[in-house]
Amino acid sequence: MDRRLATLLQEKFGDRLLAPVRQRYDETEIRVALADSTDTLRTLHDDASLRFEMLIDLCGVDTGSEMQVVYHLSSSTSGDWLRIIVPGLDRTAPRIASATFMWPGAEWMEREAYDMFGIIFEGNRDLRRIYMPDDYRSFPLRKDFYLADDASRSPAAGVRNMERAGTPADATAATLLRKSPGV
Amino acid sequence: MTQQMRPSLDDPRVAIPAESQWYEPAPIPQTERQAEFLTLREGEMFVNMGPQHPSTHGVLRVIIKVNGEKVVDLDPVLGYLHRGVEKLCENADYHQAICYTDPLEYVASLFCEAAPVAAFEKLMDVEVPLRAQYIRVLTMELNRIASHTLFQGWMALDLGGITPILWAFIERDEIVDMLAALTGQKLLYNYYRIGGVNGDLNHEFMSRLGTWMSRAAAQIDSNLALINENEIFVRRTRGLGVLDAKTALKMGVTGPNLRASGVPYDLRRDRPYLVYPELEFDVPTRDEGDSLARYLVRMDEIKQSIRIIDQVLHEMPDGPVMAKLPRLLRPRPGRAFGAVEGPRGVYGTYAISDGTDQPFRMRIHDPSFVHLQLVGPLTKGNLIADTMAVMASLDPVMGGVDK
Repeated sequence: MDRRLATLLQEKFGDRLLAPVRQRYDETEIRVALADSTDTLRTLHDDASLRFEMLIDLCGVDTGSEMQVVYHLSSSTSGDWLRIIVPGLDRTAPRIASATFMWPGAEWMEREAYDMFGIIFEGNRDLRRIYMPDDYRSFPLRKDFYLADDASRSPAAGVRNMERAGTPADATAATLLRKSPGV
Repeated sequence: MTQQMRPSLDDPRVAIPAESQWYEPAPIPQTERQAEFLTLREGEMFVNMGPQHPSTHGVLRVIIKVNGEKVVDLDPVLGYLHRGVEKLCENADYHQAICYTDPLEYVASLFCEAAPVAAFEKLMDVEVPLRAQYIRVLTMELNRIASHTLFQGWMALDLGGITPILWAFIERDEIVDMLAALTGQKLLYNYYRIGGVNGDLNHEFMSRLGTWMSRAAAQIDSNLALINENEIFVRRTRGLGVLDAKTALKMGVTGPNLRASGVPYDLRRDRPYLVYPELEFDVPTRDEGDSLARYLVRMDEIKQSIRIIDQVLHEMPDGPVMAKLPRLLRPRPGRAFGAVEGPRGVYGTYAISDGTDQPFRMRIHDPSFVHLQLVGPLTKGNLIADTMAVMASLDPVMGGVDK
């Protein structure tokens, strides 16, 4: 584990971090607020001592109570890896600033997150469905979207229609069975 | 809104909602980019390539906006192979999830397995036995050679040469048969397990590997001579689809495509996993960033892979190939990102555990998905036929792109 990176991040972002820097194996994890996401990404990319210029992955996460956007950055100079979690997106209308201003290559990954979770990335100029048909209504990776045979998880709820558009008002007790562990 | 009703055909006294209302599609707003793409200027027209086209490495539809023979803009349409693997994995337990990831990239399926296995092992704090680590390196490098030789054949085929793919398949078939002797499957191996591999190396695999290794270098060199000195091939690919290092990093490019642009970034060296730190190999790079450079970097990688296999065979220790683990795995709540350097770039899996026997969220990152974005920017202004050459040099596999 790289203690130097942890202290550096603590110095740079200090009060902006929502939780202390976590390190496990070769991964470093920070959490920043929704409003700070753009500034954080820009600092990580531009700062001469950090230089995280590669966006390895961008994905959405539905925790059952909120949406998150998770970035994995890497530095081609130092080889460090960093995970940035932006928690606290509203599940009914998840919105976050796009990362395409910095990494044009994030465009499709943001389209995928929009397609699967309905997360709106403000500033992405091509935010439309990428895998599902254009007139598709649901967001399949949300936790209230069931697979046809998902009844095995909670037999009392029976077999549910997987094409149903998931809205929070639909959420039954069975929907909320699996919530995020808060990690 | 009042609903339109029509009388039922069975009983005219009963009114039922008009069907047109049930299926009325919602208007789909156009994005900024779509509006720009769909506007035709003087002399421009759309040409549709795919979904079933031999040059698209799977099922991909590309809408090309052309002006005469020149590509003005293009828009790939994905989703023809979408199976919802991430959702399926969330509803499967940790062992089952590995099988789902296998068919993502059917020419390099061991890497698709290796990424989730690496992530799960981090979640569970599993120590992989040393022999299993060597076996993984050995099989992955074999798979890398198989993938790159197939790339060589396909690239030549996309440029109009049929002979190289017949030769490429000789090498590739031998490796595939070898791995079939080891794993029981020719394409979807399903060989890696959390904590090791499924079964030790067997006699047939070792004897086939020995025979192949004794002539592999010479055979691959003769395959290379078939294309590398071919004037048509070289003149069509040199200077085509140039990708500079800065753009490559901005676009999130990894793997051989990034190294062909002069960035020596290789996970095997920069973020070592398994036993790669103990092995000696070079990371071939080139500065040109064109289609030819991307081809040549991959061909140099084949030679490095043979070098790695040679060392692995000499250094592999005896011992168990599986760690002792309970049947039902319930990792502690946590998050882990497992990544391996595959023949196309970084294969990653981001797994979140909530303490149950199923992953709470499993994100699969595939390098082909990112690289396919480049086809548009790299082919603008070129001829339609060069779209194939550029796409072939980026080496996307649609199974991975569509997930």
